Amino acid sequence: MSDDGSTLIGEFLQGEGEPSSSWVMLVMGFVSTMVFLILYGILFPSSDLPVISSVLPVFDGVFDSGIWFFILGAMIGVFAILGTMLTEATSE
Amino acid sequence: MGLITSMAVFWLAILVVFILVNRGIWVFTDVSKSMSMFMLEKALGPLIDFVDGKHGSAATTWIIQGAIWIVPASIITFCGLWLSHDPEALHSLSSWGLNPTSSSLITSGFLVAVYGSVGMLLIGSSMHIVPELGGTTLATEKNATLMSFVWTLAVIVMFIAANKPEIVGIRIMPVATLLTNLALIAVIVNMLLTAASRTKKMPLPAWMMIIGMISAPVSIVVLAITGSLDSGSGQWLATRIGGTAFFLMMSGAILYGASRGSGNPLWSRSLAAVTMVGAILTINPSGLIEGEIASDFLGISTAAFEPSRNDIVAGSFLLALSLIPIIALSANVLATMRGDDVFIENPDSPGMPEINLAAFMAVPIAIGGLFVLTDYLTGTNELTGIHTSLVLMGVWVVFVPASLGSALSIFPEVSGRHVLSVNRSRWAFWLMAGGAFSGLAFTMMADFSDMALLEAAVEEENSTSNRIRVLGSVLFYGTVLGSIYHALNIISGSFRGALASEGLNQSSTSISSPYKLTKETTVRKILAQREGKLDTVVIPESSTDLSGNATEI
Repeated sequence: MSDDGSTLIGEFLQGEGEPSSSWVMLVMGFVSTMVFLILYGILFPSSDLPVISSVLPVFDGVFDSGIWFFILGAMIGVFAILGTMLTEATSE
Repeated sequence: MGLITSMAVFWLAILVVFILVNRGIWVFTDVSKSMSMFMLEKALGPLIDFVDGKHGSAATTWIIQGAIWIVPASIITFCGLWLSHDPEALHSLSSWGLNPTSSSLITSGFLVAVYGSVGMLLIGSSMHIVPELGGTTLATEKNATLMSFVWTLAVIVMFIAANKPEIVGIRIMPVATLLTNLALIAVIVNMLLTAASRTKKMPLPAWMMIIGMISAPVSIVVLAITGSLDSGSGQWLATRIGGTAFFLMMSGAILYGASRGSGNPLWSRSLAAVTMVGAILTINPSGLIEGEIASDFLGISTAAFEPSRNDIVAGSFLLALSLIPIIALSANVLATMRGDDVFIENPDSPGMPEINLAAFMAVPIAIGGLFVLTDYLTGTNELTGIHTSLVLMGVWVVFVPASLGSALSIFPEVSGRHVLSVNRSRWAFWLMAGGAFSGLAFTMMADFSDMALLEAAVEEENSTSNRIRVLGSVLFYGTVLGSIYHALNIISGSFRGALASEGLNQSSTSISSPYKLTKETTVRKILAQREGKLDTVVIPESSTDLSGNATEI
């Protein structure tokens, strides 16, 4: 194969539309979490999750109404506003 | 003293105020101007140096804070609607000493929406509209900016007071009244100084905003002097005139916003005059049905509402007449937006859909309010069951869209930047409008169902009504999402939105003098006005080397 051909293939493989690092990290984190949970379920089928299973009972009786899911969504929105204000004010 | 006598004194007081604002206070005019200016700036000492005094900063600060206040207002209202079908939903907050109920959350949501979002957006808009229409600048940007934070503090105190009226034996609501009036008086003085330095005849929308601001404190003084404030009728009237104050300010803002946003001149000055005079002469149906809120604000004991026969006749008559200014406003705004052809010029521009919705919905909701208030005034009380839903609908489908729409349409001029995304603004509108209208319509249906069962003396729990209330509250969540979208759009836009100066395309079209423009326009509109002729010659660029000139129509 000629040099010109390999250069073209190299450029082709390089790609131009790279996803942002934040998305890569988010997807990797999500996949890792799912893999860990599935593996844990297979390896220790009758065991509770470490740490999480001891923390969750603290919230018993707190999130016992559907309204909390909506409030959680609204809180994400409020934090998005606060985050936007902070990042916009401090960005170069 | 009777209702009609109190109203007559109120009319006289507003007339005197209007004359004084126009003519000045005889030889004391200059002294009062310089003294007021001193009180607004120098007298505040180093505090005034904390804020920015550049052109447009006051209006921007008020508008941004007003837009942010829509978020908590919608969240609190949503929680109130949810608790109406699931009263124990937030019982876990009792471990923090909080015991929110549906009625306390709906009342506090109403107050935060009216004073936090509507109030701040309207005052912010007035800080641009009054100087712009008077051909001058705001008397003091610094004081106006500073007062926005005092107002925000007042709204926080108001929210606490609505949920916990007394803390360590001190009634909280009068503290909120004190803070609100402190900021309001400073804003009124600022507006009067601005109006005093006007260089041209000020159009009606500016006067509406000024008189609207003044009418609330004037009405309280009038009712106190006439001795009506201790009676149930007087407290009811104070609540109604509070609605008039917001209606007048909203009218000024929406008329200016419709004209500015669409690029069309105001359709009718006569209808604007009818709106202004009619709003003062009649009793507006906006706001809560009972006078209890007025007594809470003033820290006086609530009197039983026992109107005399004359009060009922006069009140019903003046309530019915209030439809005239509301219909005049609605017609004027819709006709101004449409212009002289059949299309709204820029229906997707931020603010325009909101103004359109508010103008469209004002009349049916006012008619509904008229029925409910007349029913309450006459003591029939057959329709009071839908009162809360109707008040919320008035706030979320008329007042919030009107004030937000006006603020959005002038936002590029005051902040120097457009909102970040027109697309996001459109999404926010549909979420807010759809959520508020459908959610509150379903809640009203549940109210009607409850009323019917109450009348039939059915003692069992109304499960159908509860299921409809679930749907209503979930749909209202769209308003929460829409308000978050709007707040993000405005905040991001104020930092990195497209520059207003870049977006403005100066028209190179030569137009004959009678054609009035408030901003850039299109050839289609000019042709529709019969001002232009279809004889424009278009020369392809490649066929000549001569530089281009303005197209003559």
